[in-house]
Amino acid sequence: MLLPPTDSSIVARRADIVAGLRAIVPDGVVADASGLSTFDADALSAYHQTPLVCVLPSTREQVSDILKFASAEGVPIVPRGSGTSLSGGALPREDGILIGLGRMKRILEIDYENGCVVVEPGVTNLNITKAVEAQGFYYAPDPSSQVACSIGGNVAENSGGLHCLKYGLTTNNLLGVTFVLPGGEIVTLGGKAGAQGGLDLLGLITGSEGLLGIVVEVVVKILRKPPVTRTLMASFPTVISAGECVAAIIADGVVPAAMEFMDRRAAEAIEDYNQPGYPRGAEGILIIDADGVEADVSHAVSRITTIVAACGGQTVEATDEKQRARIWSGRKAAFAAMGRLAPDMICMDGSIPRHALPQVMAEMEVLSQQYGLGFCNVFHAGDGNLHPLIIFDMMKEGEFERAEAFGADILRLCVKVGGVLSGEHGIGVEKRDLMTDQFATEDLEQQHRIKCAFDSAGLFNPGKVFPTLSACVEQGHIHVHGAQLPHPHLPRF
Amino acid sequence: MASVANSDQVVDFVRAARADKSPFEIVSGGTRRSVGRPLGDMPVLDVSALNGIISYEPGELILTAAPATPLAQINAVLAEKNQRLGFDPADWSRLLGSNGVATLAGAVSCDASGSGRLRHGPARDSLLGFQGVNGLGLSFRAGGKVVKNVTGFDLPKLVCGAHGTLTVLTEMTFRVFPKPQFAVILCLPDVTPEIGFAHLRKIARSSLEPAGLAYLPGNLLADVGQGAALIKLEGAAEPLEEKVALAHGLLGNAMHRLDDGLGLFDRIGNGEVFTDIPGDVWRVMIPQSDAPRIARELNATHWLGDLAGGLLWLAAPPSDAARIRSLAASVQGQAMLLRASAQSRAAHGLFAPQPPALAALNRAVKAAFDPLSLFNPGRL
Repeated sequence: MLLPPTDSSIVARRADIVAGLRAIVPDGVVADASGLSTFDADALSAYHQTPLVCVLPSTREQVSDILKFASAEGVPIVPRGSGTSLSGGALPREDGILIGLGRMKRILEIDYENGCVVVEPGVTNLNITKAVEAQGFYYAPDPSSQVACSIGGNVAENSGGLHCLKYGLTTNNLLGVTFVLPGGEIVTLGGKAGAQGGLDLLGLITGSEGLLGIVVEVVVKILRKPPVTRTLMASFPTVISAGECVAAIIADGVVPAAMEFMDRRAAEAIEDYNQPGYPRGAEGILIIDADGVEADVSHAVSRITTIVAACGGQTVEATDEKQRARIWSGRKAAFAAMGRLAPDMICMDGSIPRHALPQVMAEMEVLSQQYGLGFCNVFHAGDGNLHPLIIFDMMKEGEFERAEAFGADILRLCVKVGGVLSGEHGIGVEKRDLMTDQFATEDLEQQHRIKCAFDSAGLFNPGKVFPTLSACVEQGHIHVHGAQLPHPHLPRF
Repeated sequence: MASVANSDQVVDFVRAARADKSPFEIVSGGTRRSVGRPLGDMPVLDVSALNGIISYEPGELILTAAPATPLAQINAVLAEKNQRLGFDPADWSRLLGSNGVATLAGAVSCDASGSGRLRHGPARDSLLGFQGVNGLGLSFRAGGKVVKNVTGFDLPKLVCGAHGTLTVLTEMTFRVFPKPQFAVILCLPDVTPEIGFAHLRKIARSSLEPAGLAYLPGNLLADVGQGAALIKLEGAAEPLEEKVALAHGLLGNAMHRLDDGLGLFDRIGNGEVFTDIPGDVWRVMIPQSDAPRIARELNATHWLGDLAGGLLWLAAPPSDAARIRSLAASVQGQAMLLRASAQSRAAHGLFAPQPPALAALNRAVKAAFDPLSLFNPGRL
C-alpha cells in the first residue's frame, strides 16, 4: 500500500510542533517512542507507522485549537477514536499529528423524554447502551467491536453491525453532531430536533472516514429494548438453498432483526473452537433473530420456519437465553476460530445483491484455488454484506501479498455483480486503490470536490479513501490530477 | 422551457447553460415550485420525461426509477408485491394548490416525508444511490444499488432536501420495505396538548414501533373535544391486536378505534388539513418534549403536532414569521416556511439563516457540485 510521501520538512520541525501542541494540551501530548508505539496502527494490523506526535485533547476547544495550529503549520492530521478500524482509517503518518479522542468520553446527557443521548466522541458504543439499559433502552448499531469502538469512530466509519438489517447503520441512528472543521471552526449539525435547515451535512460527514473534520459531540437515538427476541438456527444441504431461503424470507415480508450466514468451513472451524452446537456437514447455516412484541415474533418465527423447510433446510430454535447466547457466541467468535487455522487472516467486506450469492461463492472458490489460500465465509445475509476471511501466514514469503490480491479480486467480483467495495468497514487505506473499480473518474472527482470544500489544504487524513494524489485549486475547487504534481518515490508501509 | 428525455440531453443542456452562465429552474412534476425562495423569471428545464421504473427487484428490496416517476405509480407497483418505499413521501400538491403530479425527485429534493417518518425515517434513510448531472455538465454516479454501502462519501444524503440546488437527478435507487398487512388508528379524545403529547411520547418510547403519532386540536377533527392523541399501529392481524392491547395497557381504555381513519395520517402528512385555512403554513421541527410549550407559545388558531410532537404544523399571518423562527431556534429547532406568498418567501427564506461558519460550509458544498450556481439558484 502506497501512501503520500512523508514531508521531511515537517519531520524536521517536530520539536516545535510538539511544543506547540503542549501549549494547547499540556498534559496530553505523547512524543516519546514507547508511548507512540501504542498508536502506530489500528485494527488493520498489517500496517504500522509511528505518528509524528500524538495529542489527546479533553475538550472541543482544544480540538479546535489543535486544528488551527495544524492548519497554520501545514501539518497533516489523522483522527483516531479507539483504533478499531478494519480498513486503516486511523493509520498514522510519519509527518502527521494523530489526534486521539479517547479522553473525551463523557456521557453529557441522557434524555429519555426525547429518546436520545448526548455523548462525547470517545464514549464506546457499548457504554451508550450500558448507560440506558436499566431503563429498558439501547443504542441499536452494534459493530462487533462495540466493547471498544468509540461513537466518534462509528460516525466516521458509518459503522453497522449484526442488527442493521432492521435498525440501520450509524447514519440512521444519529440526530446531530458538533463538528470541528479543518480550520478550527466549530459547527453544529442537527440536534435533538433532528433538523438542519440546509444541506444534510450530517449525512455527508457520517462515513467520511476522518477526511472532513473531527466530531466532538454526538446525539444518538436510543430505542426501547424489544420485549421478545427469539433465535433460530437453520442448516442447509447447499449454499444455494441457504441463499434462496434468505431471499424468500425477505420476499415474504419478514424483517428479521439479524440474519447471518456462514459456510461449512466457517461453521466447522467455529464448532471446533467453542462448540456453539453448529451441525457438522451442513453447507450453509443461517442464524436468525426475530424481535419485537410477542405476537410479532411468533408470526415471524412461524413464517421463517415454514420457509426454511420449503427451501430444504432444518430449523432449531434456541430454547432459552443461555442457548441463544451460545449460538451467537459462535458467530461472534468467527475471527478467533479462523485464527486457529492459520497465523494470519484478513477480513474482507464487500456488499452484493443477495441473488448473486451463489455466483460469488462459486467464483471465490476458483480464486481460492488460484491463489492457493484458504478462506471461509461469514455474511450478513439479510443485507448482502459479505465478510470472506482469508487465512495465510505472514512469515511465508509472498503470502501476505497473495492474500491481499485474493481479497482485492473478491471485492472486484462484488463490484462486477452489482455490489460495492465496502458494506461497513470503510475504504481507508485497505481498499483505496480499488475505488476506481467501482467509480468512474467523474464520480471520484465529484467526491473529491466535496473533500476540497471542507479541506482545501488536503491536511485531513491524506492518503485515505481516494486513490490518486490530488490537490484542490481554490477557484471553483477544480480538481487537479496527481500526475501534475511532483511524484517522488513513495514509501511502502 | 426545454425538455430532456435522457441523461445525455441533460448534459448538453447544462453545458450550454454553463457556457451562457444562464441559471435555470429544474421542474419534474411541478407540484413544489412554490417551495423556497422564488426564483424569479428564468429558463425552465423540464425533466418530466425522465420517467418510469428502471428496475425493481422485490427480493433485493431495491427499486431504481427515473426521477420524474410519479409517486402514485411507484406506490402502485410496490403494492402489487406487498412492498412500499423505504420512506413515506408526502404529496404537498393540494396544500400548495398545484395541479401537477407529485414525483419521486420532488419528494426527495424537498425532503418531503409524511407521518411515517416517525418509523421509517426521512427520504435520506432510503435513497441508496443516484445518477445525476452536476453544474460542470458531467454525469456522475453516487452511492450504490445495494442496501448496505459505506464506499466513499454518502452523497445520496446530500441530495435529499437540497431542493434541486446540487444536481439534475437522472436516476434514483431506493430501499423498499415489506408493507404491513393492516393498520389501525387509535384515538384518545378530549385531552390537552400537554397530556396528549405525553401519551404520544410514551408510545414513541415503547416497543410498539408506531407508524404515526399525532395530536390534533378539536378545531381540526370533529368529536374529539379539546383535542385528540392519534396513534397509528401496523402489522399482521394477530401482532396488530397485541399492539393495540399493549397500547391500551400503556394509556388506558379511553381510546377508541377511528373507523374512517386510514386516510387521516396521509392528510396530516401531506399538510392537506391546512389546504383551506388562510395564512402562511409552517413546519416546525423541534425536540418532541418541547411540543406542548412551543405549541402554546406559537399561539396559532390552526395547528397540529405530528411525529409525537417533533413536528408542529401551523397556519399563521405573515407578520408572525420572526416570532415563529425565534421560538424554533430557542429549542435548536428549524421552522420551514412551506406555503406562503412569493413576497413572504423572498423575505424569510425556506429556513432561518445559518450561523456564518455553517452558511459558508453550505455554500462551499453547493459550489462543489454547481460552482456557477446554475441550479435553482437561491431557492434553499
